[in-house]
Amino acid sequence: MLDVLFPSGIDTLHGFRRPRFLTGLYQRVVRRLSGYSALPDAGAARCLAAPATRWTGPTVVVGAGRAGRAAVRRLVAAGERPLVLDRALRVPEVPGADLLPGSTATFLPPPSGDPDRPFTLLGYSEPARGFAVRARRVVVATGGYDAGLLFGGNDRPGVVTAEGAFALTPTPGAGPLRRAVVIGGGDRAAAAIDRLHESVVAVVAPGEIRPEVVRRASELGVPLFPRTLVRSVVGRRRVRGLRLESRGGGASFSVDGDSVVLAHRRLPHAQLFFQAGARMGWRAGTGAYYPEVSDAGATSVPGLYAAGTGAGVVPDDAEASGERAAAAALAAPIDGPPPRWIPRDGPSEMEGYYRELLAGPRPGRWVACPCEDVLLGEIEEAHRAGYRGIEVVKRYTGVGTGLCQGRYCLPDTLLLLARLEQRSPPEVGYITQRPPVHPTPLAALAALRDEFPAEATP
Amino acid sequence: MTLARSEYRTIVVGAGIVGLFTAYHLARAGAGPILVVDRGFLSNGGSGRNGGGVRQQWETRSTIRLAREAVADYRRFSSEFGYNIWFRQGGYLFLADSPTELARLARVHAVVRAEGLPSELLDADAVGARLDGLAPGAVLGGSYLRSDGTLYPFPAVWGVYEAARRLGVEVALGVDCRGVTVRDGRVAGVATSAGTVATGTLVNAAGGWSGDLSRSAGLDVPNVASRHEILATEPTKPFLDPMVVRASDGLYFSQTMRGELVGGLTVPHPPGTARGVPSSPRFLTAMAGALVGLWPRLGALGVLRAWTGFYDDTPDGLPIVGADPRLAGFVHANGFGGHGFMLAPAATRRVAAAVLGERVDLDPAEFSPGRFVGRTTPTTVERLQLG
Repeated sequence: MLDVLFPSGIDTLHGFRRPRFLTGLYQRVVRRLSGYSALPDAGAARCLAAPATRWTGPTVVVGAGRAGRAAVRRLVAAGERPLVLDRALRVPEVPGADLLPGSTATFLPPPSGDPDRPFTLLGYSEPARGFAVRARRVVVATGGYDAGLLFGGNDRPGVVTAEGAFALTPTPGAGPLRRAVVIGGGDRAAAAIDRLHESVVAVVAPGEIRPEVVRRASELGVPLFPRTLVRSVVGRRRVRGLRLESRGGGASFSVDGDSVVLAHRRLPHAQLFFQAGARMGWRAGTGAYYPEVSDAGATSVPGLYAAGTGAGVVPDDAEASGERAAAAALAAPIDGPPPRWIPRDGPSEMEGYYRELLAGPRPGRWVACPCEDVLLGEIEEAHRAGYRGIEVVKRYTGVGTGLCQGRYCLPDTLLLLARLEQRSPPEVGYITQRPPVHPTPLAALAALRDEFPAEATP
Repeated sequence: MTLARSEYRTIVVGAGIVGLFTAYHLARAGAGPILVVDRGFLSNGGSGRNGGGVRQQWETRSTIRLAREAVADYRRFSSEFGYNIWFRQGGYLFLADSPTELARLARVHAVVRAEGLPSELLDADAVGARLDGLAPGAVLGGSYLRSDGTLYPFPAVWGVYEAARRLGVEVALGVDCRGVTVRDGRVAGVATSAGTVATGTLVNAAGGWSGDLSRSAGLDVPNVASRHEILATEPTKPFLDPMVVRASDGLYFSQTMRGELVGGLTVPHPPGTARGVPSSPRFLTAMAGALVGLWPRLGALGVLRAWTGFYDDTPDGLPIVGADPRLAGFVHANGFGGHGFMLAPAATRRVAAAVLGERVDLDPAEFSPGRFVGRTTPTTVERLQLG
């Protein structure tokens, strides 16, 4: 209904502006529609008034994935007892380390002048217990996340990221996704096939499909569609299939399915590096910013190390990179060959993909930013109005200002603007990464207020 | 970037709301050609970083008058400029947490009433009726003015920017002003990163950078850039109508049309703090402590992001508006101390008048650049500062 009344969304750029009395009425309507949910009542907020956690030690490892665990092993072997933070609620024991599961490290300011404890990490444990961690060194192994994809109806129920599909599928083959179309042709698509197993009905890749994916798909008898454009979802209310098109002006066709699993592009969780003031570099291969690191994983900020997918390491080499980062942190000898890095140059296959896709028809609603309901057309409208650069387009359209802080939408928006502005993505710029990384309850931050006394005024 | 001309009648430095409105008023008066230069992108400075508050409750009568005119301007804005700025008059609710603050609010209330605005003094119960579930004893009373409000700053900038351009104003973004050329005791031109341009009049609307610009032209000015921080929470359904402020610690917060709670708090930073310094843990935790301490039910709200901006402060808390008596052709539109957005449409009419050599209907003892020359104690002081 709202889509019919306000086809381009309800925001500052659209809707009633004249006459004046209507703008007032419109405002009242808009206000009722805003917000994700109601403010919890006072009782719920009181339950959150938990005391804060404080930890001080030489080394913190953020992320208990493969790279993070490898780093911890090396640190423990050197006689340290590091602190390990991980977002997941259930994390397997990490021998020899203090573990804070369900913890979100959300703010890592640039190091202070204190040589013993230059780093302060702020975060909270579920649901709202604040923590402040002070350390001499930080190893960030925050991993990656699955990027979104632009196509018609990409906000329909049934379109999920691989991570979302994994959460919905606790054991291989189970879960609500019965006929899943997996998008992607690399490691992540292979992992998606392993988990979803017989629920997979097709594999569609923007580019080539790697042999390990071909092998898995053939074992299951699933059709493969390499070098294929995803045009739009079939089905009005939810996913019933996908309209596809072979690249290079090939045939249009459809596949049936009840869900679309996005596993085509894995991007780094790099916000903590941005916050700490580390020098960042653009890697065209995935189309993302990564910290500039030495072979051992040392960033430009002394004492801050990067490991795993978040550091730009090829997934197979996550463990090696974790060990090397820990060794570098300990100033210990580094053994083994250096990890393989995601290529710095070489065009991203997504750039050419979008050039081809967007030259064709665009059936359905193309949502560029699901948090703020910004449409692809609105980004193009901003461009037509003369606004240039991601910072300006972000403010003009609201793209990237929602709950995910732009993680989901900005990578594609960047490619889109690069195409519109006819310059390279790094020239389009990037938004300032503002803390916190994840929405952090006020109660958790409030419990930490005595940790940070006022700066001395000279 | 190349500029369209080598000479302009007026060059405005700063494409924030103050600079753009100045150019707009000048263009409406037919005083072109006009160039606006800004080293950043639109809304890169204070105009894109403020909390969107527009209030008429002040200690000084002249500021109340300017603010009142600005409120009338913002009421018309959406239909005039074609952008929904979502100016919502939900009122400003000042809270007092001590007898001293209560007495101050009563004084302000008397001045505001004398200016003909229907502000109300509220006791603790009346405040509690408006903000359900405040911490016991946190508030002794308050004052409220219904016609104060909040707006969404970005579209206001787009609106004035596009309107000014339609009137022929040239806006050069990403162009740095590197110095002012002075010849025979008056402004002769501006050196920019896109070349040197000649002009008879320069308007300094550089916000947090305006002190540097004035000083680079040899003018001794008291402007100080001070860092302030602000945060926004995840959006929720409407639960708060007014902008709530507490002058004792500079706390302010309101709920935007998108449903986010947006607010700040005065957290002293050493003066001269480098620009571009990111948000601090001190602010995040102190702000959260202030909010939850006042209104515990906010505890479950998640902070979405925090950012910083710069106030352009003056010793007496009043802006600097008008022609500098020491350097012909140098006009000030700065020193707004975090209130540029709320006063811009009205204050810039006076800036335009000063550029055009017309009479400026402001008390020279309060707003003129000359008021600081050879004087150490200001005659009038505006102390009602927030953030």
